[in-house]
Amino acid sequence: MDPLFLAISSFKRRKFEKCINICTELLSKNPYDQAVWSLKMRALTDQVWVDECDGEEEGLADVLMDDNTIASVARPGTSLRTALPSSASGGPSQAFRPSTQSGRPLSGVVRPGTQGGRPGTMDQALRTPRTAQTARPVSATSGRHVRLGTASMLPSGDGPFINLARLNVAKYATQQNIAKALFEYIYYHENDVRHALDLAAQATQAQEFKDWWWKVQLGRCYYRLGLFRDAEKQFKSAIQQEDNITTYLLLGRVYIRLDQPLAALEVYKNGLDKFPGEVTLLTAVSRIYEGLHDLIKAVKYYKDVLRYDATHVEAIACIGTNHFYSDQPEVALRFYRRLLQMGIYNSEIFNNLGLCCFYAQQYDMTLTCFERALSLATDESVADVWYNLGHIALGIGDINLAYQCFRLALVSNNDHGESYNNLGVLEYRRGNVDTARAFFMTASSLAPHMFQPHYNHAKLSHKTGDLQTSFIIVQKSLAVFPEHVDSKELLKTLEMHFHQL
Amino acid sequence: MDLWTVNTNEVSEIRKEFNASSRVSGNRNQQKLLNFLKRKMAGREDNGRWLEAHYDPLASLYTFSTSIALADLHGDGDWKLIIADLGTGAYNMKLKVYKGTTLMSENTLIDLPTGVITFHMDTTEPRVPAVAVASGSYIYIYKNLRPYFKFTLPTLEVNPAEFDAWSQARDELLDVSMLYEILDSLRQEVGECGLTTRSQRFLMCPDHPSQVAFLDQHKGFILKRQTVVTCFSTMKKSHAEDDAISCLVLGTESANIFILDPEAFTILNSMSLPSVPVFLSVSGLYDVEYRIIVACRNGHIYTLKRGTKAGRPTAELTSQPIGLLRRDKSIVVVTMDQTLHCFNNKGKRLWTQKLPAPVLCMETLEIRTLGLMLIALGMVDNRVLVYRDKHLVDTIHTEDSVTAMKYGRFGREDNTLILVLKGGGLIIKILKRTARFEIDDLNGQAQANALKLNIPKKTKLFVDQTMRERENCVLMHRVFQHDLYRLRLNTARAYVQALETSSNPVSLSQTEPLKLSAQVLGLGPTFKLRVELQNTSAASPSLQLAVIFHCDDRVYSVNKSYIQIPMLVPGIIHVAETLITCISELGISDTVRVFVVKGKASKPLLTAVINMPVAEVFMTS
Repeated sequence: MDPLFLAISSFKRRKFEKCINICTELLSKNPYDQAVWSLKMRALTDQVWVDECDGEEEGLADVLMDDNTIASVARPGTSLRTALPSSASGGPSQAFRPSTQSGRPLSGVVRPGTQGGRPGTMDQALRTPRTAQTARPVSATSGRHVRLGTASMLPSGDGPFINLARLNVAKYATQQNIAKALFEYIYYHENDVRHALDLAAQATQAQEFKDWWWKVQLGRCYYRLGLFRDAEKQFKSAIQQEDNITTYLLLGRVYIRLDQPLAALEVYKNGLDKFPGEVTLLTAVSRIYEGLHDLIKAVKYYKDVLRYDATHVEAIACIGTNHFYSDQPEVALRFYRRLLQMGIYNSEIFNNLGLCCFYAQQYDMTLTCFERALSLATDESVADVWYNLGHIALGIGDINLAYQCFRLALVSNNDHGESYNNLGVLEYRRGNVDTARAFFMTASSLAPHMFQPHYNHAKLSHKTGDLQTSFIIVQKSLAVFPEHVDSKELLKTLEMHFHQL
Repeated sequence: MDLWTVNTNEVSEIRKEFNASSRVSGNRNQQKLLNFLKRKMAGREDNGRWLEAHYDPLASLYTFSTSIALADLHGDGDWKLIIADLGTGAYNMKLKVYKGTTLMSENTLIDLPTGVITFHMDTTEPRVPAVAVASGSYIYIYKNLRPYFKFTLPTLEVNPAEFDAWSQARDELLDVSMLYEILDSLRQEVGECGLTTRSQRFLMCPDHPSQVAFLDQHKGFILKRQTVVTCFSTMKKSHAEDDAISCLVLGTESANIFILDPEAFTILNSMSLPSVPVFLSVSGLYDVEYRIIVACRNGHIYTLKRGTKAGRPTAELTSQPIGLLRRDKSIVVVTMDQTLHCFNNKGKRLWTQKLPAPVLCMETLEIRTLGLMLIALGMVDNRVLVYRDKHLVDTIHTEDSVTAMKYGRFGREDNTLILVLKGGGLIIKILKRTARFEIDDLNGQAQANALKLNIPKKTKLFVDQTMRERENCVLMHRVFQHDLYRLRLNTARAYVQALETSSNPVSLSQTEPLKLSAQVLGLGPTFKLRVELQNTSAASPSLQLAVIFHCDDRVYSVNKSYIQIPMLVPGIIHVAETLITCISELGISDTVRVFVVKGKASKPLLTAVINMPVAEVFMTS
């Protein structure tokens, strides 16, 4: 059989390793065979290819050293940074729906960016994600991509496949058949954005700025280099030439990085006009609404997603979560059961099923689900399962069991602020005021995004007569959750104490 | 010049009053008059419904709403304002009558007045009402502003033991200290109210000489136990006309209600209540059918009807009443806990309204031309709030808080509101004929909406599941209990295991209650590990502690793997820090264990497992 045909066949069957080996052999015989050369490039690229539109996490450096943001104090509702949970949007209150470390409501799925969000200060940024299970990468996107591209850096016997430094970019830029594969190789495999940009710029020039594909690639390079305004220009120009879903998604991402969620929404909606029912665009829209705390609209778009793609895990999970926290656990149960039927079989899903069963009063299923969750739990998730079991124990009034569960949650994850808080409450009920205070303090230092430990600590201080401390701490609680009624009342009582002569 | 016709030209009216007030108190200097004008103008701006007819901040009146009356005393159609002034509260009590803004006459009162009322006691022409002033145990009746009759409340039965004690003391069989002891023990027995005023006064004497003097002075008189009037009102006898003959209705300290015949001044009817009445509201005719609603000092409202001898409990209040009003079918009560209550005649609560400030007095504004019954409340915060049912329709701002109010016909003007301020000032306001009291619909609506709770609807799914639950309740319960036992067992096992391996960041043992929390700081490859140790015990310090870091030495190198901890004082957070460097080339992360050990013990007290973040590997180009 012709080895080239075999290589192409292996490439099509995604047996990249085999394809590369054949290509290497062929190239050693004839180094100038362009067909083999480009095939090998494509195989190498596809080995490490990552969908950029979806899984991108902003590094700490990106977030904190970002000078692209237009308004540092944006008007409410126009920025992802300043979006505060408000009861005006009509979603469930912060008191019921827990928030992530950045103060966003908990989403149904863990995806890049949902855990960390955008921290306010450098201190918070450096501290909180470090102790969390999913540590946020520190370096900027560009730097990290270089590091991710370790595959290309591993020393192979005869040096790199292509020596970029000696590549005649101008020559290849004119050869369209090779240029595109070469670009992708440089961009994805070598992660050398500067060379990729060079190639793309020359290629688009050679095409007299008529090829939208090169414009998108140029935009990608600019985006990766942090030149968002240039990227925006390229993407916009590409969209004018050719409507493409990827381009819309990339342009939307540019606006998100510029912290202009409303502009991003506009882009996605334009995209939806051209491609009605496009699931990726719909998902992107609902993610932005979720980031803006407009949960009602987010759920509306997730429901649209489900209309076009009934097996969309993220949409099902998010709608389920929303139902759970808006006091309809029986509906949430349906959604999670659907996920289970779709073959998702992990600790989290059983944990959620158990909670839904408990709150929907299907008691016979509750503990079975939790048992399954415990047996499936990984080191990261077992703490959460114990924590939720503690809640069930509180629900049935078994304080002792609840106590053990919260302690066990701490055994597996000693940064579990929620457990510390709840242990503090239990200790307070037992009359151990000093221990309770220590727990509340730990909880508030571990989880500054929660208002509960602050409020509890303030209440405790108020009870013990330490009004000054109580006053300081209750203000922290209100800073996290400005609408919290109990905190407000406590503050009012304290102010009255101070006003009185 | 007739002062009390309301001109539509308001500016000229100010000028006229200006003249009038300068006439009333000509000794006031120019500056005060100017201030007065300014205030008047200000008052007019903030309120469009009332004309300020008169404001005398130096009227030095000390009175309450019950001690103010309005009546056509001379039958000439010019209604006078009658105020029983409490003077200084000890002496100088006066019955003052104002004609227009001038003080027409003053009669000295002997004792503190509790109320003033005007009523028709006969059918002589011209129809001139009599003025009744309740004061102590007497009712003084004035006709044509001259003393006419004094009615004395019936005496009460004196406690026999008290009577004996005083008669023996009179006969000098008991000395002063013995009398004091007997009366004091009697006071313990029957209470302060069960004694005569003389005994009460005697017991108040502070020392022996004053007691002797008091005894000498009073022992010659007959011992009488009198009660005092707490509130009073009028009731038409047999005709409902405005100028028909009226009976007096009295509430007394002895918890009785008396109805007096207006001509013979005999007690027509006597009724008893469980507590002392403080506010009365009377409707109906004595000869036909009547209803008396009484608010009592015990915070209850009672209803009395013709033919009943005792009050029927109607409603219980949450606090002491400040005022009671009756409108055709409902009772409005304002209480000391800043609340306005409305009950129907049966005592069913119709609504309550929380008020913004404590209330001092209450008055009903019956505007006949509009067919309205409004409630005016004098508040502590220098305002008079006017409510139409539970809706606030008007606010009058005053310089001082209003302690007494009266609304009615004064001079020739029907709708006049008399306000007496805490500092003794007198304000007379006239309702504009164009004034309307419309309820602001939006306000009321918003409040009703705000009360609605946001309860999600129960889904059909939920109902179906409840059905399942109902059908299989026994089975479900059994399964749950079974699972729960297993869960408890598994949890206990895991817990014991955690305790045995000390893999817990919190120790609550009696001997060493400690808490450990660890944080990783920095970006890597060198991190700072920060361990916070806290002694959570109440008083006992922890000694000989040390922190040990343990990790895979192929991945991390620890700067100080053993840190000695000084004595841990309860409550103080001790921080131990070390640097830890990732030495692995592979850019992987691992866990670091932190142990807290005591002395030479082989078993750690606490353990924390730290999941290290991925170190940032620097590019080596």
